Amino acid sequence: MKTLFALLLFIAAVSPLAADEPLRLTLRDHKFVPEQIEAPAHVKFKLLIKNDSAGTIEWESDELDREEVIEPGEERGIFLGPLDPGNYPFYDDRHQATKGLLIVK
Amino acid sequence: MRNVVAAALLFAGAARADELRLVSPNEIDYREIEIEHEGSADRDGGRVYSLDLGTGITRWWHVGAELEWEREAGPGNPTQIDGVQLETLIRLTEPGEGWVDAGLYAEYDRSALHGRENPDGVLVGGVFLKDIGRTTHTLDLFFDKGFSPDEDVSGLRFSYAWQSRWNIWRQFAPAVELFGQAGRVDQPDRFERGQLIAGPVATGTFLLGSAGRLRYEAGYLFGATDASPSGTVRWKVEMEIPL
Repeated sequence: MKTLFALLLFIAAVSPLAADEPLRLTLRDHKFVPEQIEAPAHVKFKLLIKNDSAGTIEWESDELDREEVIEPGEERGIFLGPLDPGNYPFYDDRHQATKGLLIVK
Repeated sequence: MRNVVAAALLFAGAARADELRLVSPNEIDYREIEIEHEGSADRDGGRVYSLDLGTGITRWWHVGAELEWEREAGPGNPTQIDGVQLETLIRLTEPGEGWVDAGLYAEYDRSALHGRENPDGVLVGGVFLKDIGRTTHTLDLFFDKGFSPDEDVSGLRFSYAWQSRWNIWRQFAPAVELFGQAGRVDQPDRFERGQLIAGPVATGTFLLGSAGRLRYEAGYLFGATDASPSGTVRWKVEMEIPL
């Protein structure tokens, strides 16, 4: 029983904290709104991305090792973190000039 | 002794014995076509080349087909088509949601060479990924078995792969990786004489506008056991074309 308690305590200790509210991002007229979005450092969080454009988009970040295809009108969530403070660029892979920046503080 | 070990490994070899396989559970090319060339060349003269075509059927299910050709290590061996492979990857977790991302990978290899030393084969395994900050760590654990219609040509074999990558820049992300073949799980002596190669690798991605993305990997792997080639160059070039 002590071992089980110690194991649960260890898991709780190493599990990252999670942000309460998801961050929200919209793609509209080939622009991310907002183009720069801030996220808390050292916590796990969810980024909700809504495609408010007429075509399919593919949200992608090589630095974050994530990609997500989002159909027109669809909203999808991506789990990120915990991250160290810094800048993490992202872009729409279907329109690669459409870029944004995740700023982790 | 080295020849005896090499012969034993060849005799035990299921299909695709020399392919260096690293699979990420999140490598689902949904709404994309993937065209991929991989190759490796070792200092003993062994060569393996492949050409792969794949796509994500859904967000969690990837399928592909691959043509492979190879040259066995040693002088005078010809380069020949080794076989055709069908592969599938099922993503079991949402990326980043849990402590680790996991997937199930399987492939069927139809040998073009046939015979006891070149059997057909089936491989299944678990593939795992963990992102920590700007680093990505991938672990693959595979079991494979070769077979022919009239006899059991090899036992169940175990192989594994690991890569740790630092996602510092899009165009260049350095990594270290290793590939191991532990041999037959039911024969500990052969199991201990497995192959292990490890070394640095450069990876990266270039954006090509409406044509999609070009990914590359290139590295040099050192042999860590007597049964391993002393050095192996590995490369991979992959085009991801949006649909």
